[in-house]
Amino acid sequence: MGEPARHTLQLESPPGDVNAVHDLLDCVWADVTGLSMRDRVSFETALIELASNIIGHADTGSGVTCTLTIEITEDRMEATLRDTGECGNIDLRQRSMPDELAESGRGLALIQALVDDLDYSQEGNLNRWHITRKRES
Amino acid sequence: MEFSVTERDGGVAIVHLTGRLNMVAAGRLRDLISVSVAEGHPRVVVDLTNVDFMDSSGLGALISGLKTTRQAGGDLRIAAPTEQVQLVLQLTNMERVFTAYGSAETAFVNG
Repeated sequence: MGEPARHTLQLESPPGDVNAVHDLLDCVWADVTGLSMRDRVSFETALIELASNIIGHADTGSGVTCTLTIEITEDRMEATLRDTGECGNIDLRQRSMPDELAESGRGLALIQALVDDLDYSQEGNLNRWHITRKRES
Repeated sequence: MEFSVTERDGGVAIVHLTGRLNMVAAGRLRDLISVSVAEGHPRVVVDLTNVDFMDSSGLGALISGLKTTRQAGGDLRIAAPTEQVQLVLQLTNMERVFTAYGSAETAFVNG
């Protein structure tokens, strides 16, 4: 593979939802050859968890706008999300899974299990999230 | 996501799902299971054959359904999870909670 494969999406929710992210990933998978099934499902699961977290928790009542960039290179898969949601004190220390009958609270722990790096920072009024997974193939 | 329910003897309901079990679909699954239990089917099988994606929201709906069915004296079992669903169950340590059956029709055959 030569140049990195890059795809972008601007999502406004509502009315947009995480299915738009799935649809973008379908385009990515069609564009990039040689990715293992494990890499694809791991990256997709981590990214959907992250996007769901933003859509579900960052909306202060006026909706949230999220700009997503996905870049696949020969050795890694990366996604950057910038959103207009409320800036908060984000604690990204290693999470553990909650009680097995808890109905929520697994998202960040699941992301951490699926990618090599999860990073959060603030850029002006925007939240910036970044995930990186090293490719196994 | 598309949903359909097939009722069987013995208080069994099979919930067939097709598509992505994510935050968009999770609430509908919770409601479907609650209705099945309220209508006298506390033994619920969720057929995952055609679910190509499940996230922690979808998993939360399964756990909600598990609690709803057990409170009514029944149980919730899953059938035919795909590779991505198995990965999520494994990484969240939920494989021991949700034993996967090969097919929906056999999930309650032995009680």
